[in-house]
Amino acid sequence: MSVTVAHAEPSIAGVGDYIELMKPRVMSLVVFTALVGLIVAPVPMHPVMAFTALLCIAVGAGAAGALNMWYDADIDARMARTAGRPIPRGRVMPGEVAGFGFTLAVFSVVSLGLLVNVLAAALLAFTIFFYVVIYTIWLKRSTPQNIVIGGAAGALPPVIGWAAATGSLALEPLVLFLIVFLWTPPHFWALSLYRTDDYARAGVPMLPVVAGAAETRRQIFRYTLVLTPVGVAPWLLGYTGAVYGITAALAGAAMIALAIRVRGETRGHAACKQMFGFSILYLFLLFAMLLVDRMSEGLFGHFAA
Amino acid sequence: MTMGRMMEVADNPEGTSIKLTPEQARARRARSIAIALALASFALVIFAVTIVRLGSAALTGPDYMRPVEPK
Repeated sequence: MSVTVAHAEPSIAGVGDYIELMKPRVMSLVVFTALVGLIVAPVPMHPVMAFTALLCIAVGAGAAGALNMWYDADIDARMARTAGRPIPRGRVMPGEVAGFGFTLAVFSVVSLGLLVNVLAAALLAFTIFFYVVIYTIWLKRSTPQNIVIGGAAGALPPVIGWAAATGSLALEPLVLFLIVFLWTPPHFWALSLYRTDDYARAGVPMLPVVAGAAETRRQIFRYTLVLTPVGVAPWLLGYTGAVYGITAALAGAAMIALAIRVRGETRGHAACKQMFGFSILYLFLLFAMLLVDRMSEGLFGHFAA
Repeated sequence: MTMGRMMEVADNPEGTSIKLTPEQARARRARSIAIALALASFALVIFAVTIVRLGSAALTGPDYMRPVEPK
């Protein structure tokens, strides 16, 4: 008896395609915020252990990115911003991406658990689960609150970094969590305002698609008003020095000024694009200042003593 | 018959082996090298962490293997 087996065309996917699947730009932000969580923790970590923890967190973030691209391939193909990703472009088969993402997820979590500590590994596993299952599979296609709730996944890396260093949790990393969590909606809604057609075509119920641009602009303003005092909170709570506090206050004022412009904009998207760009700088500035503060022994010094 | 040829025949008893285009062969080679490098790096990380965590105990062995000091 002869059986005919259909062979898939041998893959032409290069290493670059697999790196792209891991969303390197998102990964760099994850690694940076995790590094800050790790450095500001009151327990100093051996450089090799810190490197290992960050590597596991980076690979875990890459795994989540790959699994997101696997599940969202249909949406990605219909959006101009994402149509060039490896699956829509036909460079990698969806099944290969699922296997790649799942393997990396298991490796990163198990390695972090065995080499660093179990709490950090559990948090990493929860982050990947939250991003892939709760955000990508469930919320993204079903509610305009998708990025609000899903933002929790992006906000967890500093907590994982802290847990990797200390093996426990505290209020300080939760403040860092809150900063990224409250930063996510204004950041993504500013982007979605000038990509509304893209999201509508793909059937993703982003806030501007469901509630309209005017409501989204109001929501951006409200979230920014809540975000800015939380951005200053590490200083108000006495965790950092005045340099951080002043930077966070000034950057927060700029965020509010931009949010007012976004709210009042009736034609074009110039303010939205500015808001999107500046929001990245805002988060980077805050976390960089936390690092600087810690390096100069201002941050958490009295806890470490 | 070489091992490679034997595997090829086992995979494709009717001799319908897949011929890779130069682009496919290049891509596969690049992926193979990347996997090898990733595995080697992983082994290095495990080694480094082992040394850091065990410290000097990596050289002296566990307590039960040390001679008992006379009291």
